[in-house]
Amino acid sequence: MIRISESGARSTVQDRGRFGHLRSGVPPAGAADPFALAAANALVGNDADAAGIEIIGPPFRFTCDDSRVVAVAGRDVSLATRTRLPGWSSVFVRAGQIVTVHSGERTRFAYLAVSGGIATPVLLGSRATYLPAGLGAALRAGDTLPLGDSGSGAEDAGRHTEPAAYEGQVRAMAGPHDHRFEPDVVAQFFDATFVIDAASDRQGIRLGGVPIAPRAGELQSCGIIAGAVQVPRGGAPIVLLADHQTTGGYPVIATVIAADLGKVAQRVPGESLRFYRVERDEALDALRAERRALDGARISA
Amino acid sequence: MRPRVVPFGEGALLVELGDEFQENVVGWARGIADTWETDFAFGPAVPAYTSALLRFDPLRIAPTEAEKFARELLPRGEIATIVGDRSRRAIEVPTAYDGPDLAETAERSQLSVEQLVALHAGREYTCYFLGFLPGFAYCGRLDPRIVAPRLERPRERVPAGSVAVADGQTAVYPLVSPGGWRLIGRTELTMFDPAAAEPARIRAGDRVRFVPL
Repeated sequence: MIRISESGARSTVQDRGRFGHLRSGVPPAGAADPFALAAANALVGNDADAAGIEIIGPPFRFTCDDSRVVAVAGRDVSLATRTRLPGWSSVFVRAGQIVTVHSGERTRFAYLAVSGGIATPVLLGSRATYLPAGLGAALRAGDTLPLGDSGSGAEDAGRHTEPAAYEGQVRAMAGPHDHRFEPDVVAQFFDATFVIDAASDRQGIRLGGVPIAPRAGELQSCGIIAGAVQVPRGGAPIVLLADHQTTGGYPVIATVIAADLGKVAQRVPGESLRFYRVERDEALDALRAERRALDGARISA
Repeated sequence: MRPRVVPFGEGALLVELGDEFQENVVGWARGIADTWETDFAFGPAVPAYTSALLRFDPLRIAPTEAEKFARELLPRGEIATIVGDRSRRAIEVPTAYDGPDLAETAERSQLSVEQLVALHAGREYTCYFLGFLPGFAYCGRLDPRIVAPRLERPRERVPAGSVAVADGQTAVYPLVSPGGWRLIGRTELTMFDPAAAEPARIRAGDRVRFVPL
């Protein structure tokens, strides 16, 4: 068991997401910053589909009933036991030892992985929490959650992997609806410096600062994915994140590549964001690089 | 427009079958999604009115290969139909017509509120597919006299049970959510129950009628 004594502003159990019920309109949910959760899981020897805890607004404080290897990842995150330990590193904790997840001013989501994984019940094929539909619940102080069997021990601790790059431009492919915008509007989109709007959440990041002229006429609703940059009629783009709707009726001018989803998700309100146009081959290269980094971080449990 | 396959990020494709809604195209999109999920087993698919989103793992299947398979589905034409293979249940949605956009939508349509309610409640709709939210059933077609473009800036919070219209479609918001449709009424009916054997109240193909309270 993991026992939570301080839960942060909002913490939920998340995994890679729930992709089996998209056709019933059930959003994938899962980690808003998928690479950070994957890295934390790799560092403690968990499978890629293991569940961890997504923490908004640490501190988050917990103990485990038996010894475990834990890791935290995200933008500007760290762990504390008796001493402060860096994020993106695996740490051995003894039964009952108090551990605290800390974050900086620019942290939006922190990910805690515990060896063995969080073993809450699987709902509709996933442990991902989706609060609007009552799939899972927000974690509270006093909650205890079951853990899976851990194959990791003290000898596996101390591993470190390079934190994700959260600064800089966000790589995106044009489309799928780019041809429905005027060419100069697409150019303007990739040229613009947007500002993250405060009304952003796990469903999407709203971008202000530079309105993008929407296309005339209506579009039939179509299936959409995380990373899609929708342009509503008002012209303020929305980048969809894990809790995104499964279909949408606004044209998608561009799509953030999978490897850069965390870079968007972790921007805090008031920060700027610029897109950088790439083709599909570059998106695939970035995904392969990410996979290599995870393989390098993974301990063989 | 000719049917085509366009990339949607590196791990998905969007099959676009047309720009205009046509009943047989809905079935075509669903057939393509079914084949992708069950015969090819490449990943999940999401059909909609005139398109199908096809997902795959680009580190397992090269995107160009996925595209080739997707294009092979196009000449097959309509390989599934919306009506026929499954029983179409009749669903009644008791509706209080008192939504915040009711008067504005009536005015925009050059109708009285009473006329708009009569038009909305006066026909049987078909559920074409689910999307956007758990249990959100896209139903059509709306009487063309109801003029209801989406809102320019979507609301950040639409209450659960809101009965809404947009662009020839009507639906019920099953959960509290952001949303850009025009709200003309509300229902007490539970539209999505994650604990139920079939969590969504309405399924694709059902006949749906709104009954004024």
